[in-house]
Amino acid sequence: MSDELQAFVVAEARLLDERRFSDWLALFAADGAYWAPTRRAQRSPEEALSLFYETRALLEVRVARLERPDAHVQVPPARMLRHVSAIEAAPGGEGCDHEVRSSLIVAEWREGESRWFAGRVLHRLRREAAGLRIVLKRVDLISSEAPQRALAVPF
Amino acid sequence: MAATIDALLRSDAVHRAAYVDPGVFALEESRIFRRVWLYVAHESEVARAGDYVLRRMGPEEVVLVRREDGGLSLLYNRCAHRGARLVTEPQGSLRQFRCSYHAWTYRLDGSLAGVPLASGYAEPPSRGMARVPRLESYKGFLFGSHAAAGEGLAEFLGGLASAFDNMLDRAPAGTLTRFGGALRLEYRGNWKMFMENAVDLVHPTFVHKSSVEAARSHAEAMEADPLARQGTQMFVANGMRAQEWEAVPLRAFPQGHVYMGGFYRSGVIAPQPEDPVFERYRRLLVERHGEEKAAAVLAVDRFNNLVWPNLSVNARFAALRIVHPLAADRTVVEVQCFRLDGAPSQMHDLTLQFVNLAASPASLIASDDLEIFERCQRGLESSGEDWIDLRRGAAADWRDADGSTTSPGTSEVAIRTQFAAWRRCMSAE
Repeated sequence: MSDELQAFVVAEARLLDERRFSDWLALFAADGAYWAPTRRAQRSPEEALSLFYETRALLEVRVARLERPDAHVQVPPARMLRHVSAIEAAPGGEGCDHEVRSSLIVAEWREGESRWFAGRVLHRLRREAAGLRIVLKRVDLISSEAPQRALAVPF
Repeated sequence: MAATIDALLRSDAVHRAAYVDPGVFALEESRIFRRVWLYVAHESEVARAGDYVLRRMGPEEVVLVRREDGGLSLLYNRCAHRGARLVTEPQGSLRQFRCSYHAWTYRLDGSLAGVPLASGYAEPPSRGMARVPRLESYKGFLFGSHAAAGEGLAEFLGGLASAFDNMLDRAPAGTLTRFGGALRLEYRGNWKMFMENAVDLVHPTFVHKSSVEAARSHAEAMEADPLARQGTQMFVANGMRAQEWEAVPLRAFPQGHVYMGGFYRSGVIAPQPEDPVFERYRRLLVERHGEEKAAAVLAVDRFNNLVWPNLSVNARFAALRIVHPLAADRTVVEVQCFRLDGAPSQMHDLTLQFVNLAASPASLIASDDLEIFERCQRGLESSGEDWIDLRRGAAADWRDADGSTTSPGTSEVAIRTQFAAWRRCMSAE
């Protein structure tokens, strides 16, 4: 297991925890996407609905909005902590150099209430001139089909 | 109790108890959700004999199943013996229902097929699964009612049946197929808030400002990205000015149904995409309908079509939102979409993308709506002031000969109309 790949997915999660959204966005390749499907083993975003399916341009809008003071769903902001574990790396395919799989537990606290999310994460990473970049971050929640209250920050 | 309902609703205001009182919610369950027609499923979801879906109708869990004779049964999901739920998967296929507890079995029409140790009864049990009293189809859209008597489905849908007609007309093959699973949203607020907000055209300017402004500032990048393009249009549409919303007419019907018209006319949300895929789709529609009718079908520019009490229909994007009240302060909304059969597959991709962006709990639009509903609920739990004003635009309500009312988009006519239907149902013993 490469220390570099492990450090990358841990640091990526921490940027979200710390609400450093612009820095987080910069980890995505120009053709990168963030995807949280609704179905287990969903093969593509064209097969079924998704909680999130955002290409780079849409992620930029999401981040720009999260940084505004009038994004009501984040007033006050959620405090979040991501626990990343069981990290496994494999050689990439499909336009990426590495595939990193991990387990993710997200604890969220906002306005006196806690929420928990858990799932498996797939990072497809490409080595670019500036460093490792995300071609795809896919999050498969164990509760992907369950009703969810508002979601503002990616898992 | 009728006197109590009258005490909750004035012509110009509603008492906050309508949103927060568990007693009022219980009465809504019995007098609205156990009586009116409720959307259950589309016939394409139970295509073959044995196919079933598990659904919610007001406070009840029901199973819709296709029988061997091709007909449909709508049954309460409960064993006639000890009351256990019979089906626990959201959908599937079965030859008969078999209870996991004592193995009572039922045929697909709900009748009792077998009872182990039947000799233990002096007179063998004969009661099957209870049937939901009424099940009717409107062109493949299946509705049920817990009440044995009442108006027919077509009469109930009234002026809103045209929303289903338009969705079907948009399918080159003339049929629809449910696809893509579902999105489910939850909020700690009253179910009526969702139905009111869907035709409240003043809130987008304020509630959705952060997303509108963020999208505007990235308009170029979004236009260049095929996945994002549709999103830009929707976000920007939510940033229309009050005068523009004013020009979106609301039409409200006595049954409590409402639609907003003229939405795409202003050219800001999802204009007919002038690309080769759409042109191919348009030609297929012309093959089915002829030029004139195809143009008319595509020109129908209503956005939300609300069937009171709990269904929102979007014909243009072939999507439904079904509102499930769980408690006075807890609601789940399920979002579903359809393939326009015969259309190019890229049209189905656009449907999924639109529904993801507009209606997911993570949507930059819907997430702020959910937040506002929760703020309203918590605010209304305060007894500082009991009455909620419903007067905006009342002077401009224009009554049509058919009993419907047309008002400018900024009117609260939709809320007034929904409450008029609410009062009628809630006052009936």
